[in-house]
Amino acid sequence: MSNPRNPRWRALGALLRPDAGRWVALGVLVAAGAGLTLGGPLIVRRIVDRATAGATAAELTRLAGLFLAIAVATQLIAVAVAWFATVSAWRTTNSLRIQMTAHVLGLDHEFHRRHTPGELIQRVDGDVTSVSDFLSQVVPKAAGAVLTLVGMVAVLVFIDWRVAIGMTIYLSMAVAVVVRSRHRAVLESSDEMGALARLYGGIEERLTAAEDLRANGAADHVAWRFIEDSTDAMTTSVRRERAFLTMWWIVQSAVTAGWVIVLVVGVTLVSADAITIGTAFLLYQYVLTVSRPLEDVVHMLETVQKANGAMVRVQDLLATSATIVDDGTTSPSTGPLSVECVGVDFDYGDDQPVLHDLDIDLTAGRSVGIVGRTGSGKTTFSRLVLRLVEPTRGLVCLGGVPIADIPLDELRRRVALVSQEVELFAGTVRDNVTLFDPRPTDDEVVATLRAVGLDQLADGDIHRALGSGGAGLSAGEAQLLSLARVWLREPDLVVLDEATARVDPVTEQRLEAAIAKLIAGRTALVIAHRLSTLRRVDDILVFDRGRVVEFGPRAALAGDDDSRYARLLSTALEPTAEEVSDER
Amino acid sequence: MSVDLVETPSPHSEVNAAADPAADLPPRTLNVWQLSWRIAQHRPKEFWLGSALFMMFFVLPALSGYLLSQGYESLAARDRVETYWWAAAVGASEFARMMSVHYGALIWTRAWLHMQSLLRANMLAAQMASGGPEAGQPVGSAGGAITHFRDDTEDAANFVDIMLDCTGALMFTVAAGFVLGAADLGAAAVLVIPLVAVAAATRTLDRRIKEYRAADRQASGEVSGLLGDVMAAATTVKVNDAADSLIARLGVLVERRRATAVRDRVLDESVQAFSQGAADVGLGLVLLVSAGALASGAFDVGRLALFVAYLGWLSFLPRMVGRLLARRKQSAVAYDRMRGLVADREVENAVRPRSLPIGPADVRVRPDVLRRPRVPLDRLDVVDLTVWYPGSERPAVGPSSFSVRRGEFVVVTGEVGSGKSTLLRAMLGLAWQADVTGLVRWNGAEIDDRAAFFVPPNAAFLPQVPQLISDSVADNVGLGPVDPAQLTTALELAELTAEVAEMRNGLDTLIGPRGLRLSGGQRQRLATARALVHAPELVVLDDLSSALDVETELRLWGNLSAVNMTVIAVSHRAVALERADQIIRLGA
Repeated sequence: MSNPRNPRWRALGALLRPDAGRWVALGVLVAAGAGLTLGGPLIVRRIVDRATAGATAAELTRLAGLFLAIAVATQLIAVAVAWFATVSAWRTTNSLRIQMTAHVLGLDHEFHRRHTPGELIQRVDGDVTSVSDFLSQVVPKAAGAVLTLVGMVAVLVFIDWRVAIGMTIYLSMAVAVVVRSRHRAVLESSDEMGALARLYGGIEERLTAAEDLRANGAADHVAWRFIEDSTDAMTTSVRRERAFLTMWWIVQSAVTAGWVIVLVVGVTLVSADAITIGTAFLLYQYVLTVSRPLEDVVHMLETVQKANGAMVRVQDLLATSATIVDDGTTSPSTGPLSVECVGVDFDYGDDQPVLHDLDIDLTAGRSVGIVGRTGSGKTTFSRLVLRLVEPTRGLVCLGGVPIADIPLDELRRRVALVSQEVELFAGTVRDNVTLFDPRPTDDEVVATLRAVGLDQLADGDIHRALGSGGAGLSAGEAQLLSLARVWLREPDLVVLDEATARVDPVTEQRLEAAIAKLIAGRTALVIAHRLSTLRRVDDILVFDRGRVVEFGPRAALAGDDDSRYARLLSTALEPTAEEVSDER
Repeated sequence: MSVDLVETPSPHSEVNAAADPAADLPPRTLNVWQLSWRIAQHRPKEFWLGSALFMMFFVLPALSGYLLSQGYESLAARDRVETYWWAAAVGASEFARMMSVHYGALIWTRAWLHMQSLLRANMLAAQMASGGPEAGQPVGSAGGAITHFRDDTEDAANFVDIMLDCTGALMFTVAAGFVLGAADLGAAAVLVIPLVAVAAATRTLDRRIKEYRAADRQASGEVSGLLGDVMAAATTVKVNDAADSLIARLGVLVERRRATAVRDRVLDESVQAFSQGAADVGLGLVLLVSAGALASGAFDVGRLALFVAYLGWLSFLPRMVGRLLARRKQSAVAYDRMRGLVADREVENAVRPRSLPIGPADVRVRPDVLRRPRVPLDRLDVVDLTVWYPGSERPAVGPSSFSVRRGEFVVVTGEVGSGKSTLLRAMLGLAWQADVTGLVRWNGAEIDDRAAFFVPPNAAFLPQVPQLISDSVADNVGLGPVDPAQLTTALELAELTAEVAEMRNGLDTLIGPRGLRLSGGQRQRLATARALVHAPELVVLDDLSSALDVETELRLWGNLSAVNMTVIAVSHRAVALERADQIIRLGA
């Protein structure tokens, strides 16, 4: 069934290598099972021949007892094989799951913009489970079948070499036609899996957006999209079934041909006294023995098809490389990082420039407020600084080192983002602050929660569960939580992208002190729509349609009536902190 | 307007449901047979035609086996010509069997998918229903809930599948029983022993199978839940340098699942091995009791061929029965889990018939969207609205009372955690996790099922963190076919017209998974357009300003006021507070 030159099988081989000992032990068990499978019919042959020769009932009873013992032992071995195979398969594929998750997490921002989480779950878990089913169910059965067939020919050589040759020809033809019919089915299976991934991905997305959809009366729309996706899934499934039936026809024809042939050949040879009736009966039993694995092959091929399609996608995914390459070796000096941009252009690969000719020079240790209308390029600029995207043209430097020359590990450790999107994880409060990092102590976590103003969480047990999807936290609290995540890490450059947008002014006031403490001694980029958030920053950078249109110390700009910043301030009618307090 | 904490429960109580969908369920015995019948009858034509063809496929081996035994009888008699004829007859019988399974399988695949799709459609409809009798409790994590749509529906359909196999195997067994009994009653009778042993062994393993299966599913749910969280938050994971810790966590969860999967599978395999072994054990017993007859020549090769031929297929029945019992348990687990998603957690609602034109021959005509009749708003009254989260001692909100007149602009403000979102969501009937008391009146009339009433064109809601879907701009705004003029107006009101016009495909531009190709502000305004597209009588905006710059927000309020929209909005900004006709301030 396998073509050793195929890179998919090579990849599978590489996957199995670490657990080789286990797989060899499994092979021994499978071989024992195959031996017993061949032994049973030999006993029956002896019974038939001895009975014809006039053996006693006692002798036949002993032989029947031996047959019974073999039947029981065969099944015990089958259970042992299942246990061994399942343990080994999961061990092996669990490493693959981990490897793939790590790989996907290393891929670009762009990649994640194009693929839904549901689709990625299907790749990393669904597809790998197909591979696991293949390893745990198909591999032992297929190995057993191969050993049985080879053993069968060997047994027949001892009985009659002509029969052995005939059986070899029959078996090779049967196996050859089955294998040849495989290719189309694999393609169809891949289409089916793709359609299913879209179906489940769509459902997952709609469940995530359930509240929006419920509140806006979208049930009919969702139902219709479900019908469209299900129709695709049905069409591809029926196509796959048709391809699979073609194979079934071939297998079944081979089995039927076997029955007819052994009957015709048997009667011819028996009439010529070339073989005994017992041997003719043995041939019939062996054709039955072959028919079971051959019929199984059809069921197994379904799993193989799935696994093969899955392996194609697994390899595709593993072959997808990040455009953000981690080959930097230069570390910027310790402490706060300066940020420079020289002639930076950027677009998302769709010829719609987002940033034009950016020249920016931000001094280390200063905090910079970034303002501008929605879509003016503020967030994209922050993504460049975080190296989530690469400039189309130009150079971004942190601490004087071109960003591509800094090892990614170090960059991620030293540059942090608090964004407007806060994702919570199914886990405890602590897990959500540390993101499952075991290193920070509980006391540190509690202190961090207090520092950002999440006292209610700090007061309770931090090991209690916090639901995924934000259950149990308001959006504002979730934003504070994401601030806590960064607080714990003590980065050298902090990007706050609308970090306090969902927080009310009173809470924000409490937070301001915390943020001031967080950004003290670090470089900070603060993106904010609400200008009051920027009261304490040192400098202001104004973006408009992807260009920097103003840059300078905040105080100077605020005092200059002609500056854009001052104009923004006057339109905003922002209340000062004192006004907010007075209203209460 | 002040909101005091008074602990007087309102007489009008609307208790939605407790927090954990599975915690307080009384254990119920589900009638899996009846449920399976219901999903099988969803598409009767496919079901019956597929079944009939499969029955032929199952019964024809009885004929083939008989013909084979006649062939070996002739072989033992060394009659070549007669043997050739029997061989030809075997070939013909098998050809008929292949034809029946060819068409049977194609039709049955469709029947099988129809059954799963019905369950999926019912669960999805319950999750998407805006109130009304069909609405189910929302799921916690979408990543985990996917297993209900993927695995549980398959388990349910698999049970119908195995019932078909069992019926076929039973029909074969009856036919074979007659032939074998006529040939050798004693040897045929001894075959009952392994069949009974299989049934007995399966029964003892029954409860374990259910337990193991549930544990395995739970472990699987945890794995896909974490993966879903991680994939949805890939950028957050990256910029927080958390990939290693999360992968370590994933390592723990997948190893836990390995343990449950191995238990589940080994038990399953034992049941199968036991039933498969029944054939060989049966043959051994037949040989054992027939030793005397074999020695005397009364039990000849033809009869042995008959037993061997039938035993191969006879083992199908105990094997299928063994699987049937296991699958019955698996499908019971599946139905039990699926009912958590549908209305009242009543499993009936998961198998309810509905039109699903997904087959190749089905006519697909998109039905018109049925919207509630518009009830022009004159005055909205919220009276003593109180929200309790289960297990907490004081209410999360209220009691809170206020009134809104047509055309008013009402701003809700207050600290983080003061319950602004909770209040609005409770008012709209969206606070599923909480106990809500108090009442809401629309033009003086009390609204009972608020989730069903507060949808367009009566009301529309913009959640604090709006979620978009991977579709076009037009689809995200309209959520179904809408008049292009309505779309244009909504985009103008939401200050999005210019940006959409700049996009490559305009309204048909795809916005990427969850709208990730848009900026945060664009997402927020797109969701705002979505709320405005049906010109609702009342629009509820939970913190629209968080992702908008001041100028845009200012223009947006201006737009809404120009069309005299009635608005309840959460905001902290002066531009909103200054315009407000009424300010509702919540204290923590």
